[in-house]
Amino acid sequence: MSESAPALETAGLGKRYGRKWALEDCSFRVPTGRIAALVGPNGAGKSTLLRMAAGITKPTAGDVRVFGRSPQKQTVAVLRQIGYLDQERPLYRSFRVAEMLRFGEKLNPDWYDAAARSYLDTLEIPTTSKVGKLSVGQQAQVALTMCLAKRPALLLLDEPVAALDPVAREGLMHILLRSVVDHNTTVVLSSHAVADLATICDYVIILSASRVYVADDLDYVLASHRLLMASSEQAPALPPGVVVVSTGSSERQTNVLVRVEQPVTDPSWRVVEPTLEEIVIAYLREKGPRNLVFGEPRDGGLSEDVR
Amino acid sequence: MIWATWRMHRSVFISSIVVAVALAIWLAVTGTMEANSWAIFTSHHCSIDFPGSSLVCMNSLSGVGNFSSANAALCGALPALLGMVLGVPLVASEIQQGTNRLAWTQSITRTRWLLVKIGVGALFTAVIVGALAPLVWWWTDAAQRSHIQPANFDISGVVEVAYALFAFMLGVALGTLIRRSGWAFAACVPIFALVRAGVRLYIRPGLVSPATASVSASTSVGNNDWFLNAGFVPLGRSNPAPGQTWSSNDSIIQNCQNFAPGAQKPAHGATYCEKLNHLHYVVQFQPASHFWALQGAESGVFLVLAGILLGLTVLAVRRWRT
Repeated sequence: MSESAPALETAGLGKRYGRKWALEDCSFRVPTGRIAALVGPNGAGKSTLLRMAAGITKPTAGDVRVFGRSPQKQTVAVLRQIGYLDQERPLYRSFRVAEMLRFGEKLNPDWYDAAARSYLDTLEIPTTSKVGKLSVGQQAQVALTMCLAKRPALLLLDEPVAALDPVAREGLMHILLRSVVDHNTTVVLSSHAVADLATICDYVIILSASRVYVADDLDYVLASHRLLMASSEQAPALPPGVVVVSTGSSERQTNVLVRVEQPVTDPSWRVVEPTLEEIVIAYLREKGPRNLVFGEPRDGGLSEDVR
Repeated sequence: MIWATWRMHRSVFISSIVVAVALAIWLAVTGTMEANSWAIFTSHHCSIDFPGSSLVCMNSLSGVGNFSSANAALCGALPALLGMVLGVPLVASEIQQGTNRLAWTQSITRTRWLLVKIGVGALFTAVIVGALAPLVWWWTDAAQRSHIQPANFDISGVVEVAYALFAFMLGVALGTLIRRSGWAFAACVPIFALVRAGVRLYIRPGLVSPATASVSASTSVGNNDWFLNAGFVPLGRSNPAPGQTWSSNDSIIQNCQNFAPGAQKPAHGATYCEKLNHLHYVVQFQPASHFWALQGAESGVFLVLAGILLGLTVLAVRRWRT
């Protein structure tokens, strides 16, 4: 592993099923030690992206690298470094929980069995239970334990909180943070529930309709977006240098979510710092101005979305 | 991975052992009954042609051959069924449950995952069927059935192991390609039956060059030989001339007045006609002595087919698109 290589990097990555592109021209990099949130609506290509990173699915176009290695070509080296949680959380339903752990132990050279058992113990999931008899939430926890027990350098988690109750979500977030702090793990997790992620993630990838719209540090994403509000009757011209992400107008009020490079000082607009959720929704609703991947050269021109 | 394979398909493995043991007991019981009946039959110098010559002969003959066809069918079907039952879900069940995505993201390649699973399944199949083979052989002998006759050949010796391995690999390959256990099984049974029947009818007779005998040369085709063909063929040949079949010359013989001119009695058989038309009557057969050569060649055919299926399955899994 070259230490300088990012945990996950894609370049022009694309996947086509038949005629339909599930993911197209996707380029971003997640540095080591981050918790990256992959957000987007269902069918945006989140699972496809994670599956390609895990080496299960072969890209149609472009390249994906895990710590500089191709999951397709250096399969075993990459597999040893990742913990992949599939969206469907497949487990052998006829196995007991202990047998599931044994399965992991047999198939992985690095396996932290004691840690896995104590984690399940805190969740009060008995290892003698049959996997198929556990509740959906407990099965999700077992599947997650299988990922964590490899103590991987990169966790690829597809909708990890989906089946969990609020307490379990809280617990999972705690585990992930601990893992990042203790073992310098990098986490890439997908979700369509943005609110859950905002508390722990420090990196955001916004994916919609098979495209990447934003991929950058959470702080930067928050700092570079503003919600401009004005009365509809006397809506002033937009300040110079802003890029419109989405416009929402009613009879009374016009709201424009914009990307900015410097503070908006125009007093005719009321300027509000948007939440991550508002930013994500703005991109997803309007399908956003394309190719606005942060960190890439941008022309700063106004989008055609301005009406 | 060996343990994991065993654990995943444990119920199939265990039920196959139970069925194999049950079959073994059944064969031992029916075989002993057959052997006893034949022993009495022989010791009282009974004859098949006159079974009613004494009460003992009649009774002993009624105990002979009772389970022959049932046992032959069981011994023929069960090993192939075992191969299919084990092979079809090997990959298909994992795909159906999505557990292939779990297995393929542990620290081993999917090729190794596949090869270990196939290795364990194939070894198990071969051991179970191989262990039954001597017992089936003993039963065939006890029932006084000739090993080279097609129905018995299929359940004798080593071909059963090759059939079972072929059935197993056919199941694995179809399960991988169709991705549904039920449909794969439904496709597996007729394909296996067709291949088996095709090989038996068209390939086996020529796997080892058959023996021929001119009937006048007093070589008889006994019960211990496998009769293939017979007919009138040109003198100097042991098979039909090019463009002819075994029955090509039948009409010549039938339409030919089978009496020498002036003779009062018919010449023996068709000899006169044969001579007139420069033909002789030839029987083509596989003698009992060809048994092991045929067994080896036919096993080879099925093992090669199984090998091709193995290659296809490995390719399919490596190029998997999810």
